[in-house]
Amino acid sequence: MTTSDSFAPHRSRPHGRNWAVMVLGWVCILFGLVIGAGGIWLLLLGGSWYYALAGIGLVATGVLLNAHSMAAVWVYLVVWLGTLAWAWWEVGADWWAQVPRLVAPTLILVLVLLCIPALLRRR
Amino acid sequence: MIRTVPPLSVLLIALAGAAWAQDEATSPDTDAAPTEEAAPEAEAPAPAPEAEAPAAEDTETADPAETEAPDEPEAAADTQEAGTEEGDPAEGSEDAAAEAEATEEETLAAAGPEPVWEVGADWPYWGGDAAATRYSPLSQITPENVATLEQVFVYETGDMPEGTAEGKYSPEVTPLKFGEDLLMCSAMNRLISIDAATGEENWRYDPGVPNEAIPYGATCRGVTLYTDPEAAEGDVCATRLVQATLDAKLIAVDAATGVPCEGFGENGMVDLWQDIGERVPGWYAVTAPPVVVRGVLVTGAQVKDGQAEDAPSGVVRGFDAVTGELAWAWDLGAPEQNRQGPPEGEVYTRGTPNMWTTAVADEELGYVYLPMGNSSVDYYGSNRSEAENEYATSLVALDATTGEEVWHFQTVRRDVWDYDLGSQATLVDWQGTPAIILPSKQGDIYILDRETGEPLTPVDELTGLPSGEIEPDYISDTQPISAWHTLRKPDLTEQDMWGFTPIDQLWCRIQFRRANYDGFYTPPSSDRPWIQYPGYNGGSDWGSVAVDVERGIIVANYNDIPNYNRLIPREEVEALPINERPAGEGSGGEAGPQAGSPYGIKVNAGWRNTGTGVPCTSPPYGGIRAIDLETGETLWDRPLGTARRNGPFGIPSYLPLTIGTPNNGGAVLTASGLVFIGAATDNLFRAIDIETGETLWSVVLPAGGQANPITYEVDGRQYVMITAMGHHFMETGVGDEVMAWALPVTE
Repeated sequence: MTTSDSFAPHRSRPHGRNWAVMVLGWVCILFGLVIGAGGIWLLLLGGSWYYALAGIGLVATGVLLNAHSMAAVWVYLVVWLGTLAWAWWEVGADWWAQVPRLVAPTLILVLVLLCIPALLRRR
Repeated sequence: MIRTVPPLSVLLIALAGAAWAQDEATSPDTDAAPTEEAAPEAEAPAPAPEAEAPAAEDTETADPAETEAPDEPEAAADTQEAGTEEGDPAEGSEDAAAEAEATEEETLAAAGPEPVWEVGADWPYWGGDAAATRYSPLSQITPENVATLEQVFVYETGDMPEGTAEGKYSPEVTPLKFGEDLLMCSAMNRLISIDAATGEENWRYDPGVPNEAIPYGATCRGVTLYTDPEAAEGDVCATRLVQATLDAKLIAVDAATGVPCEGFGENGMVDLWQDIGERVPGWYAVTAPPVVVRGVLVTGAQVKDGQAEDAPSGVVRGFDAVTGELAWAWDLGAPEQNRQGPPEGEVYTRGTPNMWTTAVADEELGYVYLPMGNSSVDYYGSNRSEAENEYATSLVALDATTGEEVWHFQTVRRDVWDYDLGSQATLVDWQGTPAIILPSKQGDIYILDRETGEPLTPVDELTGLPSGEIEPDYISDTQPISAWHTLRKPDLTEQDMWGFTPIDQLWCRIQFRRANYDGFYTPPSSDRPWIQYPGYNGGSDWGSVAVDVERGIIVANYNDIPNYNRLIPREEVEALPINERPAGEGSGGEAGPQAGSPYGIKVNAGWRNTGTGVPCTSPPYGGIRAIDLETGETLWDRPLGTARRNGPFGIPSYLPLTIGTPNNGGAVLTASGLVFIGAATDNLFRAIDIETGETLWSVVLPAGGQANPITYEVDGRQYVMITAMGHHFMETGVGDEVMAWALPVTE
């Protein structure tokens, strides 16, 4: 697929914001705050470090997305790879157990990757 | 590349999608009954075959299985051997009847062994044969041809919930097959006979059980047949069909016509409320078939759980199968005094542990084996009597001729987890010793000498168990476990927490860390919730295990689900309406007042997450396993149940992926090496290869198959049947179908 006409106006406005990137950015921030806060609670209860770290990573991703920075993609890639490694370490090839660990983060990965054209355009 | 930016809705759908898998888990609490005792049972009635013609029977008559009749009393054997010996299994039913008559001589002494029927063409006992092996010598349907099974009939009982019974149906019915008939009860105790080959109704008898009598669920797991050895052939009620009802009556009708047996109690009915005390509908109900031994019908009852210490007695009684007169009572609180009933003006000891499930009997020894439950107040024990502590959650062997205890074997010391014994025990000859296999809700499988109660397999002791803060002096710091085999999985860890997304999984992890949990046998607590794992659904529940006595294999299906519980201080309970079940946490929640004890109880059965109802632990939630009967080693073990009925937002996914659902109901085994089982919440009925665990055939039922299937033969054609009636607690719909399958008739 190539660029659709509907995005043409953005090109002509160098400082324009892509609303969908913003929405994803805020979703990441929201989820990041929830996961980060819950993660800190879990940490205090003696549980896993993953959620606190993932929450920070998601918030960072969201903030960078809102700034239309390509760094968002790199940050989230680190979060996702870290998630992958952690998930494998926790439950290995138990695919049902991987559902909550990998499915939603991977969907977010896909969405973040889909933002790349918009982020590149902004430059 | 698509450069379109994803709209929010796409994102949300994606996130929701992540969770689809978990939905299947939504009916986690298979076992049933949230109200503990009341809950666990489910079975469906049997179907009858439609077609006439006997299929070519490739049954090899020589099949060793047919001569089986595991551990049946010898005496019985002589009198009735002929039929099943080797011939055509189809003849079995007539033979059985004939044999029964033939044995009259033997039974004059009221206390002597009477003939037992063999399983084969017939399915004469709830557990198949008198030993409750759930093993059939039939072998016409094989692993090779099972995929060609076709439905031969569907019979609808017409018993569907009306009015206040809505949402309370869990029929759990398993019919008997005797002669040409399938004999069964419906959820509300309507007795029904249908033609076993065509499904056409022969007769029905409705005792008119009112909706108010429904305890936890409307359940009738089965019926019992008895042939009066003194009666002449053709006499009315010579062979009688007996059931015990939700409104606590013992009812006997003529098996051939459905006419009440006049000579039994009062016009065919015995009132089990007699000497129990105050009648509160639903507090005292019978859902299990009675067992008959040496002419004595033995029945317990289900006493509603979690209510009050002053609950009806758990007394187990024996009644003359011909006259309905009380033969004896076993009241563990006053066994001597109340053996022939309590003194004038008194009642059986109240609040004692009961037997809600099915007993098994050894006709030769004259013993009946009672899997006992817990006291009515399940989660607090300091004010229980010594007798209660001694017998609760024990297998008790009684001499059925006198009602006196012979031995008992306790599986939990001072049970405050509602680990009732829910499974019917199975009689086998184990390495030369007459033995009894006892599965428990904790998953332990014990094999005991059935004469003495001595364990034949190693029993270990857990020591140094935590005693908690609620009643540290009461809680036992040791518990027995089977070192021979257990279905129980390792203790939970934070990594076992689940959810649809990282967010609900995280919330479950927080709940896990906030709860009291020291592994198996963590005692109840009130300051914080505690995790009970395995939950009260088992392990093994009323579906029991099946035993292939030829191959030496135990087949056990089981649940693998925790409960998330909290004791609620009396002050908090007082704020709630007594005797009502306030909404618990999550959809599987429940609460009981435990009136008379310092705490009420709140149970989140299946530990479903707040709000979402998604289980907090990872699948599988149930499995099925084959165990070597000699060594106790696992031969294969696999999750039972697919994800087809679950999906996000309650929408069925139709995914044929095996996830392992909660399950309720047992298996039937055939000599040809097949395991037939419904049970799971995917509403499938399936055939599994006993050698490999592989599913060879499955069919979608119109409602859940929470019932034990059976197999039988008519005119040389083998049938398998299950009742598809659903289960309210398992969330598998409601139905009234009795369904049967057989191989296509080849002309």
